[in-house]
Amino acid sequence: MAEHRAGTARAAAVAAQLQQEVSLLLELYKKKEDLHVDVSEVRLVSVPPPSSQLDSRDKLWRLHSALLQCRTLLERATTKEDEELGGREKGRYEKQREVVKNRLSLLLINTAELLKAADGAAILAPNLDDFEVERLSNLFELKLWIYRIYREVEHWTRTAVATLKELSSDTPKERKRITPATRSTRSTRR
Amino acid sequence: MLRLSTILTPMPNPDLVWHLCVLLGVSALNAETNVVLTVPQHVSLLPNFSTQQLSISWLGGPATTFDFLIKRTDFNETVFYDTVSAKVNQVSGQHQWTWTSEEPLECTSLSVKICSRDGQTTSEWSETQILEGRDIPSNRNFQMYPQDKVVPVGANTTFCCIVEEGKTFKSILYGRTEMNVKRLSLRSYAVTAFDQQLSGPTGANVICQTHMNKIYGAVVFIGYPPLPTDFVCHTQDLISAVCQWNKGRDTHLYGKRQTHYSVTGRNCSETSTQQKCSLPQWDGNWTLVAVNSLGQYSLTDSAELSHRVCPVAPVNLNSDVRAWNATVLWEWKYNSYSTLALVCQVELTTQGYKTKRVFSGLGLQSVVLLDLQPDEDYSIQVRCGSQKNFWKWGNWSNTLSFRTKTYVPDAPDVWMWMNRDTTGLVVWKPLTRQQSHGQITGFEVTLWNNKENLQHIQISQDTNSIPVNLTQMASFSEDDEIIAAVVAKNVEGVSQPASVPLRLIDMEPPIFSRIAYTNSGFPLEWQQNASTTCSYLIEWHDASCRHDCQVNWLRVNVGSTNVSIESVDFQPGVRYNFSLYSCPSSSPQLIQRWQGYMQELVPSSSVPLKISQQDFDVVLTWGEIPLANKRGFILGYNVYISHGSQLSLIANLSDLGTRKYVVKGLSVSSYKFTVKAYTSAGEDTGTTASIMMEPGSGLVLDILGSLGMVTLLLFIVSLICYKKRKWVKRVFYPDIPEPKLSSDWSRTRGPLDVKPSPHSMVHIVERPEQDCIKDALVVIPEEEEGDKGHGIGDEPVDSDEPQSLRYYNQVADERPIRPRFPDSSVSSASSMDSASTDVTYTGIQTSCSSLVFQQDPQTTPESHQPNTDHSVSCGSGGGSYRPQMHPITLSENIGLASPEPLLEPQAVSSGGYKPQNSWHFDSPTEEERSGLAPSLGSPVSVASTQFLLPDEEDHDEEKLQPSTSAATWFSNLLSSSKP
Repeated sequence: MAEHRAGTARAAAVAAQLQQEVSLLLELYKKKEDLHVDVSEVRLVSVPPPSSQLDSRDKLWRLHSALLQCRTLLERATTKEDEELGGREKGRYEKQREVVKNRLSLLLINTAELLKAADGAAILAPNLDDFEVERLSNLFELKLWIYRIYREVEHWTRTAVATLKELSSDTPKERKRITPATRSTRSTRR
Repeated sequence: MLRLSTILTPMPNPDLVWHLCVLLGVSALNAETNVVLTVPQHVSLLPNFSTQQLSISWLGGPATTFDFLIKRTDFNETVFYDTVSAKVNQVSGQHQWTWTSEEPLECTSLSVKICSRDGQTTSEWSETQILEGRDIPSNRNFQMYPQDKVVPVGANTTFCCIVEEGKTFKSILYGRTEMNVKRLSLRSYAVTAFDQQLSGPTGANVICQTHMNKIYGAVVFIGYPPLPTDFVCHTQDLISAVCQWNKGRDTHLYGKRQTHYSVTGRNCSETSTQQKCSLPQWDGNWTLVAVNSLGQYSLTDSAELSHRVCPVAPVNLNSDVRAWNATVLWEWKYNSYSTLALVCQVELTTQGYKTKRVFSGLGLQSVVLLDLQPDEDYSIQVRCGSQKNFWKWGNWSNTLSFRTKTYVPDAPDVWMWMNRDTTGLVVWKPLTRQQSHGQITGFEVTLWNNKENLQHIQISQDTNSIPVNLTQMASFSEDDEIIAAVVAKNVEGVSQPASVPLRLIDMEPPIFSRIAYTNSGFPLEWQQNASTTCSYLIEWHDASCRHDCQVNWLRVNVGSTNVSIESVDFQPGVRYNFSLYSCPSSSPQLIQRWQGYMQELVPSSSVPLKISQQDFDVVLTWGEIPLANKRGFILGYNVYISHGSQLSLIANLSDLGTRKYVVKGLSVSSYKFTVKAYTSAGEDTGTTASIMMEPGSGLVLDILGSLGMVTLLLFIVSLICYKKRKWVKRVFYPDIPEPKLSSDWSRTRGPLDVKPSPHSMVHIVERPEQDCIKDALVVIPEEEEGDKGHGIGDEPVDSDEPQSLRYYNQVADERPIRPRFPDSSVSSASSMDSASTDVTYTGIQTSCSSLVFQQDPQTTPESHQPNTDHSVSCGSGGGSYRPQMHPITLSENIGLASPEPLLEPQAVSSGGYKPQNSWHFDSPTEEERSGLAPSLGSPVSVASTQFLLPDEEDHDEEKLQPSTSAATWFSNLLSSSKP
């Protein structure tokens, strides 16, 4: 139990760190692209909606799945951005982008371990189709898309901080719910 | 036409030509109006959205000019209406014309129609053709045009925003600037950005907003077309070509929009970041084409291969190293270089300094580097070029480092310093790295003369001087010349010896010349001595040093007549002595000396100053500042007088020998003087001395001397008078004959019974006992000088108070009264009266002078004792007699000349005894004279045995009494001589 709690706390710390780094990345991006208008949020990550019925393991699973999608989106955004808008020496923005990607990978490792400790089941990386990327018809749409991805990463990082804090403060009674019995139930549901 | 003909018929011949012309013209007009313009058919529109061009083609018959009318379909606004010429495409047989729109063709639908024109005649309009915009209802999306456009700096670009169906347009921002909007259709809005400036690497954003805060936008890139420079090709392997160029102006377009390069059709984009492209064969002619979205630029180059050889860098460098030289070897990548005449540069780096040496040869692969320093680190690089038709140097090879071998050291540079006591120092300069040729392990010093080696000393490598004492050497004599020889040692062996003769050279040093420091040091110049065939040596040291001085020196070649001495050791404010010696190694001779400062400073200490008064003058004298503290050549002294905190210059003494100054004619006051020495850098802080001028001390001495002389004179006169008193008395003070009465006076020998007048009554006043005691012995306090003065000036009535008396005995002397020769206690009265009255009386009046000074032994305290007793008895009985006081005499004795005698106050202080007012103006008054005997006003003593019978003359004489005090004293003196 202590090990689980420590793992959760460690993951929460990584998520908190990531949250700061994503915020900085967003600021750098807005400054680089001179985006000073409000951009409406569009959810790019697809996960089951939050529910009070979800137990801790389901919450963890939902979070991990969303973060996996975020990392995939981030990698695609990086590739597409370098392809269409790159060509100059890497600056502070590009370095921060790498920092966020690496930190997100670390958070995913932590959440994967927590998830594995909960039910032993691993989640494969989501196979997102390239529809979203291909639908981009011009560079302005690409810029908006990248911005929305960063916003999405920020959103899910914030969610991760909250969820992991919640999990680390769970009562022993709550943690008892993460048992092989419930796991089998959840597996069935999946 | 007929009518015209009719008109022509009656015309006369001169008008015939004119009529014919008119006829022909009218005929021609009729012929033109007969052409029928065809209406353009089959109008087709072919848009190019990226270039915003609309290609219009139609069948227009024989017409060559057409009117075009282009309108925005929705608002039926004319966009273009003009006449243009259009030619027929010979292949298709169609007319074609291209129109460039200011707005993107997607913005809104355009209606196009054409008519043929022939002069002023036009055909009917063709059927309207519509180019559909993207704002048609079927396309409901939020859109913006143009997208991702690249435009040159300074261009104007129109953007249009097509809002979503059913949404309300809000604004268009170019960057952060809200633009003026023009509505093109129901859903389409346009803005134009003028004179666009460089965008960022990711372009500028143009953002369209709706009232629902939904945004869409476009990105525009603004940059320059390519403009490369310096396109040139060369060969390295003597076969292929390598072409290089500079990018030139930055296009500010990156990534996909960057410039693409090609050389003679070969794509060089992959290596374009290095602006370099390799071609397998030497073509001799090359063309560089640079292309980006905004245009392209071409450069050409052509050359023969042999003129464009740029060898590759040598490889596999190696070395064969010795002490003074080294051989460097290398290899070439291409064998073809073996037949190529090469010129190579070897860059030699040692101790941070780089030198280049050039070598040449066919297929050069090794060079010998001469003149290297033993035991020195070197690093080299090599690059070569074609010796024939040199084009440019190839690349530098990798660096090769080596260290030369060691060698015996150079002989050290030796000099000496001799003190005046035949002691001294043998000094040598530390060997530099270039002189050491390896690690110095020590020195050997040998002292010898012509006969033998006197001393052999081993010195460690860190020592650069040894002390010598010539007198301690066994075989030293004045005639012997001892020579010091110094050798340096390293692992390779010992150096050649360096010698210097040890003797005191400057027994009679020449005069020092002053030398000023310049940017290049101390410039020393001297006359060339024709007979001198050896070199010179300049020696310098701190001038304040006297013993075992730290000398520096510089050797100067023979024939030189000047040198500039510079040293990092020169310090500001230090005086240096420079000495020029000839033949320093064999028989040094002092030729010339200089002194100088690198930089003169103000003296660091001040002169020692003394101050004294001489009458009304002040004499300032000062000493010299120590040499080390002068810090510059003293140019003079400034003397200041201080007024509060302000100094006023009173003298500037530029004569250095003068170290005294007299300030004359000062009044009695306090003065402060400051003396400051100054150099070219300024004054020192100065020494201040103060003095309080005394009032004319000489005058006082003169007065005191005069008073002394007067006193001495008086003493001598007095002594003479005393010795010759009988003679004096006989001459100046003869015995007064007995009074002779006139016949009407019955002269009796016995006492004269005269009823005393009331004025002559002795009033016996009773006094309390205490007062009697006080009266018997009055203690007079000693008074201050001021008080005395005060009393004298302000209160003359008190002048007769016993101020200078210690004790005042008012009790009458009871010694027997001698009728002729009164003692001192009665001298004044008797003497005064003696010359002016016929009756001499002897009284009990006590001479004040005798009481005050107590010169008379009778007035000693012992002699007073009985008087004290007497006064006590006075108190008990009150019947005893008391002498009257003589206040005028007292007054005279204290030096006062008060004309008014004290009466009542004195009586009070006298213990109730009222003195008899003898000789005074108040007695007798006119009344008394008339009613009483003339003797009533005469002074009568209770002890008197005779009346004093004053007459008018006597009275007058009494008034002169003060002026006769000296006579009184003289009389006393004479009286005291009587037995």
